[in-house]
Amino acid sequence: MIRNYIKTAFRAFTNNKAYSFLNIFGLAIGIACATLIFLWVEGEVNFDSVNAKKDRLYICRENEKYDSYVLTHSSTPGVMGPAIKAELPGVANVCRTSEDPASLLFSVGNKSVFVSGKYAEASIFSMFTLPFVQGNATSAFAQLRSLVITEKTAKKFFSDYKNVVGKSIRVGNKTDYIISGVIKDLPSNSTLQFEWLMPFKLFYDNSPWLWKWSNYSLSTYVELKPGVNPETINKQLYNYIQRREPTAIGHTFLFSMNDWHLRDSFKDGKMTGGGQIEYIRLFTIIAWIILFIACINFMNLATARSEKRAREVGVRKVLGAEKKSLILQFIAESMFMAFMAAVAAVIIVLLALPAFNTLVRKQLTIGLNNPYHILGLLVITVTCGLIAGSYPSLYLSSFNPIAVLKGLKLKSSGASFVRKGLVVVQFSVSIILIICTVIVYQQIQHVKSRELGFNKNNLIEMNLQGQMSANFNAIKQDLINTGYVENVALSDHAIIYGGNNTNGMAWDGKPPGSTVLISQRYVTPEFFETSGLRVLEGRNLAVTDTGRPIRMLVTKSIEKLMGKGSAVGKTMHYEGDTTKATIVGVVNDYVYGNMYNKPDPVMFFITPPKNAAVMYVRTKEQKDIEKTLTAIQAVMKKDNPAYPFDYRFVDEQFNQMFLSEMLVSKLSRVFAALAILISCLGLFGLAAYTAERRNKEIGIRKVLGASVSSVTALLSKDFLQLVVLSCLVAFPIAYWTMFSWLKGYQYHIKIQWEVFIIAGIAGILIALATISFQSIKAALANPVKSLRSE
Amino acid sequence: MLSLKNISKYHKAGSLKTTILNNINLDVDAGEFVSIMGPSGSGKSSLLNIIGMLDEPSEGYQYFLNEPVHQLKEKQRSALYKKNIGFVFQAYHLIDELNVYENIETPLLYQDVKAAERKALVADMLDRFQIVGKKDLFPSQLSGGQQQLVGIARALIVTPKLLLADEPTGNLNSKQGDEIMELFSKLNKEGMTIIQVTHSEKNAAYGSRIINLLDGTIESSKNI
Repeated sequence: MIRNYIKTAFRAFTNNKAYSFLNIFGLAIGIACATLIFLWVEGEVNFDSVNAKKDRLYICRENEKYDSYVLTHSSTPGVMGPAIKAELPGVANVCRTSEDPASLLFSVGNKSVFVSGKYAEASIFSMFTLPFVQGNATSAFAQLRSLVITEKTAKKFFSDYKNVVGKSIRVGNKTDYIISGVIKDLPSNSTLQFEWLMPFKLFYDNSPWLWKWSNYSLSTYVELKPGVNPETINKQLYNYIQRREPTAIGHTFLFSMNDWHLRDSFKDGKMTGGGQIEYIRLFTIIAWIILFIACINFMNLATARSEKRAREVGVRKVLGAEKKSLILQFIAESMFMAFMAAVAAVIIVLLALPAFNTLVRKQLTIGLNNPYHILGLLVITVTCGLIAGSYPSLYLSSFNPIAVLKGLKLKSSGASFVRKGLVVVQFSVSIILIICTVIVYQQIQHVKSRELGFNKNNLIEMNLQGQMSANFNAIKQDLINTGYVENVALSDHAIIYGGNNTNGMAWDGKPPGSTVLISQRYVTPEFFETSGLRVLEGRNLAVTDTGRPIRMLVTKSIEKLMGKGSAVGKTMHYEGDTTKATIVGVVNDYVYGNMYNKPDPVMFFITPPKNAAVMYVRTKEQKDIEKTLTAIQAVMKKDNPAYPFDYRFVDEQFNQMFLSEMLVSKLSRVFAALAILISCLGLFGLAAYTAERRNKEIGIRKVLGASVSSVTALLSKDFLQLVVLSCLVAFPIAYWTMFSWLKGYQYHIKIQWEVFIIAGIAGILIALATISFQSIKAALANPVKSLRSE
Repeated sequence: MLSLKNISKYHKAGSLKTTILNNINLDVDAGEFVSIMGPSGSGKSSLLNIIGMLDEPSEGYQYFLNEPVHQLKEKQRSALYKKNIGFVFQAYHLIDELNVYENIETPLLYQDVKAAERKALVADMLDRFQIVGKKDLFPSQLSGGQQQLVGIARALIVTPKLLLADEPTGNLNSKQGDEIMELFSKLNKEGMTIIQVTHSEKNAAYGSRIINLLDGTIESSKNI
């Protein structure tokens, strides 16, 4: 029986190549698209899964309550880790590491490259899954000046990279470190990323500020014993710091590795449940919607074609087929199509995967040797086959055999209603996706073109290395002399990121109990001109401002906090410290850290070159960038010969902050295009069948004197009505979706009604272009032919 | 073999009632070859459809092989005609996607006949109709007469007790038509009960009884 079905299906398939192609191609694109999304989702959900102890690993986070919000961060006191391990019985192990990856100059022979890594306690090797290729975990940090590197780093420096344990690497042009182990490269879906590890002691012993309970600048990872509930530990951690430092406002809690990548979103100190998981959910829904749209095509084409199949149904019924077996037959047919589509989809995925990987910045593979992937593809295929075959099989199998065998016109109002409804669904989804794509793009452009307060363009950032701070004045002069550079300045922090802030500032008139987080930056006087910040009142900092009284510049928002009038001349001090700092000038607010937030307050102090960390170079706008870089490189080579020229563009750093939004934007563009393509395939097929069915009517009309244009209009009208109806369905849904998406951003655009009009017109034009081919073809046909056949 | 008592059939469209068959009484015995004649719209096909249980009468009693058809459920009725009635159509109604062999085989599939037995039955039938050489051809590759031959072979494959034919020669030229009627006549002599609907006096003459329908009632019934 089944063989008979398959045979019929296969022959029906080869007899109607155009129809089968539309069906299978549409479905294949749908399945391919869904497969790509699910591969991406799999990668995201399995983030950090390389770690065998994933379920028991946590990072310590702190909640700090300020006047208007709770700040959640993962900087912890340096002394907390060992205390937790000693005092809390549920804790199996603790590992402290340096926070931001340190970029150090590694030299072997005459090859010198900056490599980024972390200082970590040896427990990192047992807590995280870091397989050693050479050396082993137990002896890795036995010596103080030891170094564990990844395979990638080993390959970078040694030709004989399979045997490097015991060899040495010179770090920072100063000290030699012995390689004690080589570990496998960390997969890209690991939150923990580094290219080298060095003993934590090296870093800790040289950083006395870390030894206090009041300083938060280390990462602390915790491994719980099996079966220990993190909530019981959290209760013990809540006031853990306060017992040592009663005025501290940081309350510690454990943040599970399972949530690091997916649910890293906090509000009022609690997980919102949002984060990357929201995008995963969104794209999963989109994947199923695209599949559904492809299935709709199948249903529509199948029912539209039903008149051709009706006779077969009638005959089979007369020959004794029951409704059940006919339903089975049509389901089998759609299954057959779905499987053909799945095969085509695998080919499409294989072809599209490299481009998709570039798009989402991943190294996904189709992994057909993975039984779960095969199973997943099977589930998708069978689901598609069932959905696509469901309505046609019910519809076709319900034909009355006498009516269809007599060749009576089928009463297909029910079917055509469903068909129209399905077209409306398809086009609604397409129009929603067009609108969302446009608004997401507008929002990103809006934030990217935001007035930041400083000028991110033509601004180059370099880490201070070697002789750069000692030779600062010479370097500055040489750079300006090249004619490519306007100004050069030093700072202790990158301008675009957050970092180093304090809640301990007080001033006259500050409301009691108020806590405000203020960032502190140490800069040279050229900093404001170089970065493009403007001194609004008072004066700039001067090199001579290093002594007492402490002098500082503040941003406009601090002036507002301090009450009426100019802030110039007012003073601030640390709580519990009588040393006053005098405000000598006010600069404009600028955006840093989170580009969607309002500018947070900043105070600036003067710094001598030796305490700075980064150098900023303002290049001339009109000069060629290649020549400018060559000129700067020549100066650096002369004034700081021991280090390679290492630089970043601030506007590129800025762009990096929009990676996830850019991803959403790009993906939504791709999905919108695919949804439209699939919908158009279906519409094209439907238009063809409509034209065919109304062949005789068109012939009669033409004989009666109808023009080509009026016939085209007649055939296109019905479809256009559906697209207009789709707009009415799509607009409110799109508005609501985008309204709630934008709500998540403090700095966002207003939704403009023009977007909806444009999307509606685009939908209509696309539909018109799709159906006009068939309509015009039908309208141009010779009426004699169509009428003779009767 | 079958008996119709006071059978009526009418359609209701709004308040308009169209009568198609009106109080038909008809008995057909095993071994008869009945030809139903009448002008277009006299109810010939409707009567045939009711006899074949493809359609239900609006009123009346119907017996087939002593079973009260009017009391049977859809499923039982379908089982009854599936086993005992073969249909032949004016437009042949072969399935385009299946070849000759598969077309003949299809009714057996719906009766859950085993594969080996199916093979034997179909081979017999191909042999009997001398179309073994055409078994792999598709309907579109056959002439009208050949297609109708396959249609009859398909109707006979389940060894029905009654063969219903709705203008079996309507789409054929006279030579092909004669051949089909000869075949019917031969089948009847072998014991098959046949009821055919026809427009042609000549074809009707092959039968043993002619029933004339007019406006849904039996106008005359005469044995030849």
